[in-house]
Amino acid sequence: MSTAGTNTASTPGEPLHLEPRLEQLPAALLEDGRPLLHALVDALGSPLNVVLPEQIARNAERFRAVLHRHRITGRIFYAHKANRSSALVRRLVTTDADLDAASLGELQHALASGWTGDRIMTTGPKDPEFLWLAARAGAVVNADGPGEVEQAARLVRSYGLPRLRVVLRLSGFGTSGTTLLSRRSRFGTPARALKDLLDTVDLHRDAVEPIGVGYHLDTTSLDEKAAALEGCLLAMEETRARGFSPRAIDVGGGFGVSYLAHAEQWDRYTTALTEAVMGTRPPMTWDGHGYGLRKENGTLRGTLGLYPAHRPLAGAGYLDALLSRPAQALGGRPLGTLLLEGLHDLYVEPGRALVDQCGLTLGRVLDVREAESGGHVVRLAMNAGDTGLEDHGVLVDPVLVPRDGPPGGGGARPAAVHLMGNLCLESDLITRRVVHLPRLPRPGDLLAFPNTAGYCMDFGATHAQQQPVARKVAVHREGESWHWCLDEQYWPITRPGGQRT
Amino acid sequence: MRYDRITDAIGDTPLVRIDPEVHGLRTVDLYAKLEMLNPFGSLKDRAAWNMARDGLAAAKERGETVVELSSGNTAKALALIAGLHGLPFKSVTNRMRIPEVKDLLLLLGAEIEELPGRSECLDPTDTDDPLTLFHQRLNGPGSAHFHTDQYFNPRNTEAHASGTGPEIVADLDGRAPDWFIACVGTAGSSTGVARALRAHDPAVRVVGLVGEKADFIPGIRNADEVQQVGLFDPATYDTIETVSADDAIDGMVTLVRRCGLLAGPTGGAAYQGAVRHLRDVERSLDAEPADRRTAVFIVCDRVESYLGYVRQRRPELLGRPPLRNSVATLTDTEARTATVIDVADAQKWIAEERPLVIDLRGPFAYAALHIDGAVNIVDELFDELLRGGLPFGRRRPVLLACPVGEKSARYAALLTRMGHPDVRSLAGGIVAWRDAGAPLVRD
Repeated sequence: MSTAGTNTASTPGEPLHLEPRLEQLPAALLEDGRPLLHALVDALGSPLNVVLPEQIARNAERFRAVLHRHRITGRIFYAHKANRSSALVRRLVTTDADLDAASLGELQHALASGWTGDRIMTTGPKDPEFLWLAARAGAVVNADGPGEVEQAARLVRSYGLPRLRVVLRLSGFGTSGTTLLSRRSRFGTPARALKDLLDTVDLHRDAVEPIGVGYHLDTTSLDEKAAALEGCLLAMEETRARGFSPRAIDVGGGFGVSYLAHAEQWDRYTTALTEAVMGTRPPMTWDGHGYGLRKENGTLRGTLGLYPAHRPLAGAGYLDALLSRPAQALGGRPLGTLLLEGLHDLYVEPGRALVDQCGLTLGRVLDVREAESGGHVVRLAMNAGDTGLEDHGVLVDPVLVPRDGPPGGGGARPAAVHLMGNLCLESDLITRRVVHLPRLPRPGDLLAFPNTAGYCMDFGATHAQQQPVARKVAVHREGESWHWCLDEQYWPITRPGGQRT
Repeated sequence: MRYDRITDAIGDTPLVRIDPEVHGLRTVDLYAKLEMLNPFGSLKDRAAWNMARDGLAAAKERGETVVELSSGNTAKALALIAGLHGLPFKSVTNRMRIPEVKDLLLLLGAEIEELPGRSECLDPTDTDDPLTLFHQRLNGPGSAHFHTDQYFNPRNTEAHASGTGPEIVADLDGRAPDWFIACVGTAGSSTGVARALRAHDPAVRVVGLVGEKADFIPGIRNADEVQQVGLFDPATYDTIETVSADDAIDGMVTLVRRCGLLAGPTGGAAYQGAVRHLRDVERSLDAEPADRRTAVFIVCDRVESYLGYVRQRRPELLGRPPLRNSVATLTDTEARTATVIDVADAQKWIAEERPLVIDLRGPFAYAALHIDGAVNIVDELFDELLRGGLPFGRRRPVLLACPVGEKSARYAALLTRMGHPDVRSLAGGIVAWRDAGAPLVRD
């Protein structure tokens, strides 16, 4: 069999790059900020996390622009759980965005960073202390079900707190026509049980005020989200009919990020991976790992356990598409139009999408040696927990930041390498795949793992084997020069490195 | 021709020569096998009937539901076959991407289950593919299913090895074509036809067409997806080439506009892929061959279900000139000439002169809350009404309201252009009305 055509053909041996999509700010940092990056790792150690607070403000503007385009009023809640950084949270408080706190610690952090309760929504599993502080501060509570509503009402009465605003989180929406299966969720009240939930809210009218309904679905599928949004529009009606005055529909997050610069590279890579699993080309991974794919009786089975790293529709663009989608069960007008016509505010809770391009993780190259199986093994002063890209199924090439000279200079040849971590553990591979770099790294070089700010920076970092956990710095560009400070020392009124005039 | 059952009409489809003026090949006669003329509308009728027929009686006795993983033509054929035999049919799919087909299946009485999309917060340990989950559900306790299993069932291939393939040979006066070009979906038709043709003449060259990964073509799998198909064996094909959604539509347009064939995009892809491959072959010829040679491709189904698919990708193919009396014909300058009235003045105006208040929002929003006495004419309907002229008298003043006052301003400008003397647009729309604390009612 020979393969011809336009884009899926690949020749074994040809480097399979997965070039990161880098916007202006991170691209500039990796290009002319190289001396700074080396100086920072020299001083603060490897691994090191770098965040770019300016970028989060730009991203929030993009979401705002989508709301403007659809003429919808609404609020953009940053899902704090995506990153622990103080700099990002403190920069964002100066914009018109809001914040979604998913734990007592996150709520405390937000309050200490200058957020006021009226700009905070609390989500996720809540212990009494978390719920109390949220109610005390006047935050909105995204309530999981009748139990949480009752618990909150008791707290409000016992401690004489102001009436608590709640968004009722729903799940398991019905669809008309076809049965749309959705992954089972730990959270939310089934939409068909809204009546009982409203009964509970009704009993506690003095203590809680339902300001809206919402959902948060763990899926990339627009169809499922559109069905849920339609369900919420109906739920708003039901809530209104019970004599409440709800204003908001909360569509949660999950807008996604596109990590790669080129769709063709992603298509070529995944085709090659399929071929490797089917045995028609040499393995591309450590021990022939198939990322969820396997061969059974000559047929491909399993499913690719990878994040769709190139997404033509992600972030604010995804929200735009959702709002433009016709509501099948409600006469076919676009969902955005129905929100607008129903006079509903729209709440969105982007996490990953709001910190897109907001940071990277640096690791120092310690050792480079030839592998028995060909190629090279590169050992880094970091481990798999320090960058969660692999754990979240995101395949993207690290950027080589050389100690001396340009990355590809001097007739350097591309190199295929395995990246190993610093733990004494067989499974500590930074990634299981062979990574193609513009040249073989040398000890002292840095590898920059791009776009880690969303869940891939500090989410899974541990003190395992007493290896150091990455420090975090905030970097800011002014004109041609770069400034930095430790993340915890960043405040929006100070230029990193000195007082603003 | 008389039949006792519609299923007897499956097969024996025409083989039609494509005019060389259209494809421009000098040395090859290109034929289209018109599988779209099967009674249920597609190539899949053959496989569906062959997979189902021997099991239907037993399935009926056990009270089973016919089940298939299909997003299109196989589901359509099976839904009709199941209905014909008094059995329910369920289609399970994660690939239902043609809304018209979905609606058609519902009309035919099929039940459709759509599998969930990919997880946004990935759990890398969850690697069960939709197929595995589907099989688990079928084999679960209490399951009463007759699963036709088109991706693995050899009877799919057999339908073409004993039907489609031999028909082609018979229609070419007992000769196999030099090339057979087929899109690969379940691989059933390409594998079956290839087997029959090669049995007749091992020199037949078989070209398999798969979709580009960037977009999708209905009924064709891409290079990675074909690997998941049990019936797919790369050795069946002399070469595998990719075709894009653009190719499919280009080919389809040629077939419908130049050849009188109401082919859908799958047939279009097969035509385009065939012509491209054969042109390359002709280009590499050193000398003209002594005899004309023949090639056959399959037209899988008809075009009507794919208007939305075309509209999304090539709206210009369905383009019409803008209509008179449509807001689309208003310039921005014209739109700005509308008379607007703010909430306080509008309230006064309504009380004093009782203008006709028209709420341009959807019925759902109108039913929830509206200005007392307003008439609901949703903007799309209003747009259609206006094409025929003014739908109300000139002596009655009119107040138009939409959510934020933009659409209403455009319609106000249009009505003014059409000669209405007193149309006003509610500034800031219903949102401003609500924010000003003006009363909204529900009836």
